[in-house]
Order: sequence, then structure tokens, then C-alpha cells
Amino acid sequence: MHGQRLQIGYAGRTFENVENTSSNTPVIEFRDVAYVLPNGRELLGGLNLRVRRGETVVLLGRSGSGKTTSLKLINRLLSPSAGQVFVNSVDNGATDVIQLRRGIGYVIQEAGLFPHYSIEKNIGLVPKLKGWREDRIKQRVQEMLQLVGLESDIASRFPHQLSGGQRQRVGVARALAADPEILLMDEPFGALDALTRDQLQREFRALQQRLNKTVVFVTHDLREALRLGSRIALMEAGKLRLVVTPEEFMKSSDPLASAYVQAFVGDESISVGSIKDASIKDRGVQ
Amino acid sequence: MNLFHFLSQNYDQVVELTLEHLWLVGISTLLAVLIGVPLGILSARHPLWNRPVLGSANLIQTVPSLALFGFLLPVPWLGERADRIAILALTLYALLPVIRNTYTGIRGVDPAVVEAGRGMGLTDRQLLMQVELPLALNVIFSGIRVAVVVSVGLATIAAAIGAGGLGEFIFRGLAMVNNQLILAGAIPAALLALGADFGLGWLEKSLRPR
Amino acid sequence: MKEQRNERHRDASAARRLPGVALIFVLLITSSCAHSRADRIVIGSKNFTESLMLAELMAQQIEAHTHLKVERRFYLAGTYICQQAILAGRIDLYPEYTGTALTAILKQKIGSDRADVYRRVKDEYEKRFSLTLGPPLGFNDTFAMEIRGEDARRLNLKTLSQAVPFATHWHAGFGYEFMERPDGYPGLAAAYDLHFAGKPRVMDLGLLAPALKNHEIDIAAGNATDGLIPALDFFVLEDDRRYFPPYEAVAVMRDEIVRQHPDVAEAVAELGDKISDREMQQLNYALDGQHRDPKEVAHDFLQRKGLVH
Repeated sequence: MHGQRLQIGYAGRTFENVENTSSNTPVIEFRDVAYVLPNGRELLGGLNLRVRRGETVVLLGRSGSGKTTSLKLINRLLSPSAGQVFVNSVDNGATDVIQLRRGIGYVIQEAGLFPHYSIEKNIGLVPKLKGWREDRIKQRVQEMLQLVGLESDIASRFPHQLSGGQRQRVGVARALAADPEILLMDEPFGALDALTRDQLQREFRALQQRLNKTVVFVTHDLREALRLGSRIALMEAGKLRLVVTPEEFMKSSDPLASAYVQAFVGDESISVGSIKDASIKDRGVQ
Repeated sequence: MNLFHFLSQNYDQVVELTLEHLWLVGISTLLAVLIGVPLGILSARHPLWNRPVLGSANLIQTVPSLALFGFLLPVPWLGERADRIAILALTLYALLPVIRNTYTGIRGVDPAVVEAGRGMGLTDRQLLMQVELPLALNVIFSGIRVAVVVSVGLATIAAAIGAGGLGEFIFRGLAMVNNQLILAGAIPAALLALGADFGLGWLEKSLRPR
Repeated sequence: MKEQRNERHRDASAARRLPGVALIFVLLITSSCAHSRADRIVIGSKNFTESLMLAELMAQQIEAHTHLKVERRFYLAGTYICQQAILAGRIDLYPEYTGTALTAILKQKIGSDRADVYRRVKDEYEKRFSLTLGPPLGFNDTFAMEIRGEDARRLNLKTLSQAVPFATHWHAGFGYEFMERPDGYPGLAAAYDLHFAGKPRVMDLGLLAPALKNHEIDIAAGNATDGLIPALDFFVLEDDRRYFPPYEAVAVMRDEIVRQHPDVAEAVAELGDKISDREMQQLNYALDGQHRDPKEVAHDFLQRKGLVH
């Protein structure tokens, strides 16, 4: 009923009939969404974006680019100042926010595990809210622990007893426990050391291939975006600049995108080249 | 007759006055918690309420206790019985530490935890009951501890208006210039305050979240 | 979707202690109301000698004629404190004055008729506070205009009216309160058309007696039951125009006590009309002037009156 919509950034491709229940139906859709602070500062302007089922869309950008704001608009932690956000074709402002959030997995950088709950209780939180039976919850917790690569006896421990990496795994397990369709992740590996981050990224990628959830992932790290995203949405100063596949991103002529690539490639050569080369590159690269 | 002898001779009275004292402190602390914790939660969640709520509680603290007792004397129903006046005054004085600590405790909960909780679909009430209050509990409790210790001291003065408690020994002793009587009131009152501080402090520590 | 109520999701060990603590707290509070005083009578008194004396007399009467133990809570700070204590049930009886009860507690205007004042207080106390008034003990602790005994005998003076013509040559000494209160000196001067030589001197209550003795003043306003009256040979001029209100001493008792222990009420009632003004003066003097032990003084008195053996 909304007819054809031109999607900016999709290189001219258009979509017919939003109500179509094919795999092309967007699970998440932003329509002319803006978010303005009470003091008038615009964090997000004119956002139009669709996320299809099974995709991992990475919101890439610097701090202040509006990427976290966009993420929070999906599970209605923030309400848009203009426009609408649709989840499964339903305006998420017109629906029960609590049920909406319980159907979306949410992982944040600090993990935010409840310190006074055991790992088991933390992971089982949403299932419990949904009224699952105790034994089913218990079983699910064990499944989740296995899924994220943690020992089953961790279930009885408490967050302060775990390492940062372990806590993040628990965070992911918790987000997946009630088997949500959608997963929102806000720089989940940002606070971890490089080795752990690398490992978790690889594990997450494998996980995503198995589970095929619809994921919106926020990061400022191109490497992470390239690794995990099926599409990268580049954001800057509250505006969406482009939404392309990783390959297209690397070849993009957009100045901001190519700046990111430059910075990224500069890094890469240091790691793979000889030490002599690297020192030359160091002085040569801007 | 030395103090110990006096205490054992008048054991019944000492116990009775001590229990009266505890009653005054207990009821007023309970009321302060029932009123103060919700007010603290309110001002933590809606910062606009912060100033009037904390401001009023602060204002009450500035009124000298004896003056407050005096103000309340002519009030109908309240002023007719000294223990009602005392309980009201003690409750008012206990409000500030309870409200302030509830506010601080709830604001002090890790915002990441609150955000994660909200994002997962906890209602405001569930967030309060399952996350914020349990995590703020030991801070709230230390506010209650302060309230109790202050009340024990204040209840001693309440005897001046006839509310009873250990202060009665002190005032009678002063009128009779009888040191034993004065000490018979002062020492148990001091012990009560110390005991409450110590006991509640131990409890507070055991409520600390990991 | 049905929402499950989450009960025990607190950190197990800490939260488990909380109900226990709350229980102790509750027990402490409730136990403080539950103390039984079935076998004890608690007597209070105000913080001056005469009140203490009367309370001690009542206490010994009860001890002698009933099987009950008496607990003494003397020197309570004043009328209000005593009233609060008896209303709260913390004391069971204490000695009060009819005039004080009428003005300070019932907040009514006072008259000069003894019987009327007594009746009004008795009725109101019963109705409003469920307190029983015992019979008057016999003396009237009202204001007393005192002159030296030698002057009274020389001039053959018995009443205030008789003294009025001589008063113009006298110097008067009053306490601050008597001077200022409308029902003190101002009212007295009006009632008797009383004039003194010069303005009355205002002085500390304790200095009035020596000043009178030493001829610094010739007439002073004191209390009718002052211990120094017999000791220093002072004479109280009779208030024949009934200006001063009556302050008869009575026992105030909780109705419950009277019901549960009628023998207590009886024992106390035996003191009715047993103490004259003069006898009260002597009792006060024994304590204030001679510094004798109140218990002894009370026991002697009761023996002399044949109330105890």
C-alpha cells in the first residue's frame, strides 16, 4: 500500500510492496527517522534504512555519528522525534514496548550483567519473564553456555568472578536465551583486549552462520565491520551515508568510506609487511 | 549505693524504660522507612522532585528537636499525647538520612545494568524491585542505620515532654541532683545507640552486593 | 502474555537474613507493649518537696494495706509530664491539685468555691480521661499572705480584710510571677482595695522568708503550706473574701487501677482530710528545713495518725 520506495544508498535499487511476505520483507525499517535532543541538537536526521531477515547490518561510524542512537530506536529505548521505526511491519511506537523488548536480544559493551544474580539467573532472565518452566529454563541456560563456548559449571558463579571476555559471552548468551528473532549489539567487544576481541568476533561469526538471526551491530572498527557484516551502513554526523556490502565498501569512492579504508589498509600493511617496510610506511602514510 | 547496685534494685524500671525507648525508636524508624524509601525512589527517578523532597527533609533537620516538640504540642489529637508527638518528631528527623540514602543508592546502581535490564524488557516496576532496590539495599540500609542512631539520641530528649524512655531517668536525676539516676538513663541510652550502630553496621555489611 | 511474579531472586544469603532481622525488630517493638504490671503499682510525683511527700504517703499506705509492690517514679518534671504519664498508663497514680487540674489541664476558668472546683475536676477527669479523683487530703495549698507572727498577735489580726488599714504602713515583697499574673497581686489589690507603702518589692522566692524575718518587708506572698511558716513563726492571713482559688491536694488514679485493685483506692482514700494546712507545713519543713529522709517522715506521720502500725 505504500507503493514503491526509493532506498537511498541501495545504488538505485528499489523495493515493491512492503507488505510482501517474501524473504525480502524488512524485519526492521526506519522511515524518515530523526532524533533531536531537548536542547535542539540533532543526533539523527532523515534516516531511511531497511534490515532484511538473516542479515547482519553493521552501523559503522565515529562517536556522535548517530549509530548507537539508531540502535536504541529499534527497541524503543529512545523514541524518534520524527518518522517511524517498524519492526516486523509494525510501528514499534504503537505496540507494547515491553513485549517488543523481550523479543529482541540486546548486548551492550559493558555487558550489564546483574551482579547480584548468578550466571544462570542472568541468562535465564527473559525466559523467566516470559513464563517458561523452571526445568526448561535450566536446560536452555546450559544450551546457551555451550553455544557461546563456556563451561557448564559457570552457571552457578557470579559476574564478578568472571573475566571480561567471559562476561561478554554471557551477555550474548543472555540475549539469545529466549530465542529472539532480532539481535542488537552495541560495540559488544569494544572493552576487551585485542586477542579476546578477535576470538569473540570469530566465534560470533560462526554463531551467526548457524543461527541466522537478524542482527544490527554497532561499531567504530572497520575490521570488525568487514568481518561480521553482510552489509555496512556508514554513518556520519547523524546521517546515513551509504549502505553497501563489505566488498563494495572497500572499493567505494565515497570520501569518508575511502578514508576508513585507508586507515584500515595502513594498519594491515604494518602487520603483514617487514619491519623495515613498516617503518617506511609509517612515515609515508598520512 | 553504687550504680550497679542501683540498676539491679530498679531492674524493672530500667527494663520498662528501655523497652519504651525501643518502641519510640522502632515505630518512628519504621514510619520513616515506609515514607522515606518511596520518596527517595521518586526523587531518584524523577529528578524534578529531587529538590523539593530533599529540601524539605533538610529543612526539618534544621529545627531544634525541643522546639519541634514544642511546636507540635498545640496540634489537635497529636498534641494530646506526648508519645504521638515524639513519634512524629522522631519520624521527621529520620526522614532525611533515609530519603537521601535511597536516592544515592538507586542513582548509584550501574547504569549499564539498568540499561541492559530495560533493554531486555523489564517493566519499570520489575527493574525497581528486581534490580535497583536489591543493588541499592546496603546504601539504603546505612541510611536506616544513621536514622536509628539519631533516633536513639533524640528519644532521650523526648522524655522532656513526657514521652517516656530512658531520658526520664536523666531528667528526674537532674531534678533530684542524683547522679545515679542520671547515669541509669544515660548509660543504657548510650549503649543502645552503640549497639544499634554496631548491629546494623554488621547487617549492612552482609547486605553488600558482590 | 502472562507475567510470572518473581519472588526470591535476591542474592540468596543476604536476603535470607532480612526476614530474620525484620522479625527481631518486630518482636522488640511488640514486646515493649506487652510488659505486664499485674502486681505493681507505679506512683509518680512532681519535682517539688510537697508533691514528693504526698506521693510517699500514698505509696506507704498502699504498701501497708495491700499486697502490692509500689514503684516510685518521683520528680517528674511537671504537671504536663505527670498527666502524659498517667494517660499513657506509665504511672498509675499521682498527687495533683484541684486548682492546677482545672486551669492547667482542663483549661477552664477557676472559681473560688472549693467544693465546686473539686466536683468539676472530678467529673471532667472521669469523662475525658477515665481518671478517678480521690478525696481531698485536707489542706489548701493556695497563695498565702504571710506576716510575722509577732505582728499578728500584737495587732490581733486574723484575716486579710482586718489587715487592710495597717497595710498602708507595710512594705510588701512578692515573687515575680505573683507580681505579674492577673490572678496574683493585681487581682488581690482590687479584691481587697489593698494599698502598701510604696511599690511591692519583687524578689527571688527563696529570699522572701529571710526578708520577712529581718523586717526588710512586712508582708510576703508565699504558699499556704510553706515549711518555713511554722519554723520562722509566720502567720497566714485568712483570705476571707475568697480571692485565691482553691488548690486542694487529691490523688489522681487510673480507672483501671481502681477497678482492678479497689483496695488501693481505699488505702489512698484513707488519707482524705487527714492533713491540715499546719501539718503539711510541718511535713514540708521536715524535708526542706531538717533534711530528714522522706520515707521516715512519711512513716512517722502515718503512725501518728493511726493509719499504719
